[in-house]
Amino acid sequence: MGTMTTISRRQFIVSSAAFGGGMALGVVSADSADATFLGPVPWVETDALPGAEFTPWISIGADDIVTVRVATPEIGNGAMTQTPMLVAEELACDWNKIRAELAPTSRDYREDSVYSKNDPITGYFSGRSTNPERMKLMLQVGASARERLKAAAAGEWKVPVAEISAKDSVLTHGASGRTLRYGDIAAKAATIKLQVEPTPKPQSEWVLLGKASPAKLNIPQIVNGSAIYGMDVRLPGMVYAALRQSPVHGGKVKSLDVEKAKAMPGVLAVVTVDPDEPRGLKIKSGAPFGYDETHVRAAVAVIAEHYWQARMALDAVQIEWDDGAGAQWKTTDQMVAALVAALERPADKVEKQSGDAKLIDRQDKIVEGIYVTPFSDQAPMEPLNGTALVTADRVEVWHPAQQSKQAFWVAADESGMDPAKVYFHQTFVGGAFGRRIFGDDVRTVVAIAKKFPGRPVHTIWSREEQTRQGKYRPLVAAKLRAGLDKTGMPAVFIASQASKGHFPVLADSPYALGCIPNVLVDARLLPFHVITGSYRGPGYNSYAFMVETFIDECALAAGVDPLEYRLKLLANWPDPGWAKVLREVADKSGWGKSLPKGIGQGIAIANWGMHGKPEAGTTVGVVATVEVTKSGILKVHQLDAAFDCGRIVNPDAVLNLAQGGVIFGLNMALNEEVNVEDGRMVEGNFDQYPILRTGDTPQVNIHFGGLSGHDRFSELGEPPAGPVGPAVGNAIFRAIGKRIRSTPIRKHDLTWA
Amino acid sequence: MPYDLTVNGQHQSVDADPSTPLLWVLRDHLGMTGTKYGCGIAQCGACTVHIDGTPTRSCQLPLESAAGASVTTIEGLSQDSSHPLQRLWIEMNVPQCGYCQSGMLMAAAALLKNIPNPTDQDIDTNVDNICRCGTYPRVRAAIHKAAAGSEE
Repeated sequence: MGTMTTISRRQFIVSSAAFGGGMALGVVSADSADATFLGPVPWVETDALPGAEFTPWISIGADDIVTVRVATPEIGNGAMTQTPMLVAEELACDWNKIRAELAPTSRDYREDSVYSKNDPITGYFSGRSTNPERMKLMLQVGASARERLKAAAAGEWKVPVAEISAKDSVLTHGASGRTLRYGDIAAKAATIKLQVEPTPKPQSEWVLLGKASPAKLNIPQIVNGSAIYGMDVRLPGMVYAALRQSPVHGGKVKSLDVEKAKAMPGVLAVVTVDPDEPRGLKIKSGAPFGYDETHVRAAVAVIAEHYWQARMALDAVQIEWDDGAGAQWKTTDQMVAALVAALERPADKVEKQSGDAKLIDRQDKIVEGIYVTPFSDQAPMEPLNGTALVTADRVEVWHPAQQSKQAFWVAADESGMDPAKVYFHQTFVGGAFGRRIFGDDVRTVVAIAKKFPGRPVHTIWSREEQTRQGKYRPLVAAKLRAGLDKTGMPAVFIASQASKGHFPVLADSPYALGCIPNVLVDARLLPFHVITGSYRGPGYNSYAFMVETFIDECALAAGVDPLEYRLKLLANWPDPGWAKVLREVADKSGWGKSLPKGIGQGIAIANWGMHGKPEAGTTVGVVATVEVTKSGILKVHQLDAAFDCGRIVNPDAVLNLAQGGVIFGLNMALNEEVNVEDGRMVEGNFDQYPILRTGDTPQVNIHFGGLSGHDRFSELGEPPAGPVGPAVGNAIFRAIGKRIRSTPIRKHDLTWA
Repeated sequence: MPYDLTVNGQHQSVDADPSTPLLWVLRDHLGMTGTKYGCGIAQCGACTVHIDGTPTRSCQLPLESAAGASVTTIEGLSQDSSHPLQRLWIEMNVPQCGYCQSGMLMAAAALLKNIPNPTDQDIDTNVDNICRCGTYPRVRAAIHKAAAGSEE
């Protein structure tokens, strides 16, 4: 049993090495004022904001520093910079006086969901900074604070508010030339209640949004190594846990010999995690996604003073596993065969039905193909990990979550502790891509820590554990069929799919929503043991590949250029962004030029987030330019992408996400798969699960000319992942005549003569 | 038996199992968490440090082999984030999640020291770290810009 450790409420240990070298551990205050913009520690230890609090979202200090609370974890999309930009636009403050910190989930719980009560399902404590509700709210936060500052100055000067202007953190009375800094009057302004809320200014008057791309606030902490990710949490008395979960998902521990491991240096305990143990809070859950996706897996963890001791001792634990039902799946091929066989049986779910799909038999030509995408791991660079301290009367968690409120509730549920006594600290996040959204990781961390109460336990998944214990992009097989009429255009589209883990977005496409008159999209679910979940653009990342490859096959059957075919198909689609994106990317990539055999261009277009409506979500079009040698070596030379998310607020952030998203999409299509052998997941590390590197990355050109100007500010994180794979596959077909109907593409024989 | 080594110019004495990778010596025994764990098999480069000036993946270097060496980590790349690459990383908004960037910076800094004006090929060969966010185009551009800046 560990010794009891008390951690000061306002203090947190970080390495002083980050502040100039040396080995001594230094203590810095988590909400220290010297973290002027965004400190190495993103979370706060206190509910109250520094300075004068205008609302729970914003405060202004006597030193003019504006502190903005951000509910969105920083997972790489720049949310901790974007949210303050929204506030600054309306507040009319000096950008260099802006400071960001994470909104505490504990205050949200204690103060009647003060941060999340406007929650549009997942909009708070996760997701996008440009979520429309979030934009609206944060602009209003800035506008209201500005008007309260002006009202306070008007009172001070005894002049009408209308005569006061606000700019760069200074209030000016034009007629008299008097000025006040925001900090001079902030305390008084914070007490003022406005009779009428101000209306935020029209977008045409924006000076920051849509124009400026300031350096992200967290980069200074990244480049000197001081940013605290989950992996970097260091606490007084902290111990480390190394973890091994049942290699066959769903398996159990049959027997355990821990004697050898326990005798090894530094080892403090060997604990087990049992999914069947009773657990859970008996109160109504506030977890945004519920608990269904958060189950722990049977596991053994070695707890030691140092990580390497835990890791070595874990290898010395003799574990016999009861593999359970999953072991019946001997190979991935066997699972694919089961999915393909299931395509012929009646559907479990009909997702979309319009017109009469039976008319397919009356068409001129039928195009048909079976498409398969594999299990893939999100593979964030920071392996899963987390730290928890469980004591008799409180639970404290430091964690790299993708949804802080979800993680807070899962931690409470697993510990059984009254949520009022649960303190959740959101760290920086070293990539998430859907893996850290549900909180099975935080449940596991707490499940281990509660077996070793009194000391903070930092649990680390090895890379192999991360890859093999996934919540994967599902393995999906789909049979797509189209009946082409006399003009070569599809009159009927039938999409049958089978998978374990299902995201019903195949029909979320113009093709199924009116461009093709007769549509049937249905699904079959197979009870595979392999655990699936969300992965950058859930469902979409598979269906975009399948549908856009299939449309290319229809174009070929019709004898029409793939670009022209898509434009024709989309002719009556009431969202002009699609055609604009296609034309932009075709134009900029030099589409249509004659190329020698072995070189080809392919095109694809898809939308993430439309939810059945035109002018919604983000549409991305990609043209891939590839070369295939006769010996079958594929070289992707160039990827051109155009997009329509409506409008944008931060051009460089959009560019950065689009570049990265395209590269992510390329890796997904070329390289990624996790296989099954005797029920176990095979691939463990980057030697078996390759990721593109600098030298493998093609020229990536992002074009802004597809933007429709529609007033929606949709996101750029997930959408680029979809159309890259099919564009590359379609390019390969045009280069060498081989059709790519499954990924990873690296497994295909691309030789030609 | 404690092992002696120099980290960012300071003498350190570490009492740990001789097989302990330098990565965990730095992160766990010395509390310097800027050097990241990504794979543990010298594949991803997130743990890159300089050993006597040479870029090295610290996850595969046991403490007993690191004894006596002079180690530079991201925390010691400069005293005040003034290394040209650190400044350009900020100016050019290079990182996304940032987790791999310590290693990326250490690999890039070593490259520029050895080859002040690297070609694309030099970058491909020497900065082959994995970035899941796909920041490669910006990493490349920032290295070229740093090289151009040093020529002025």
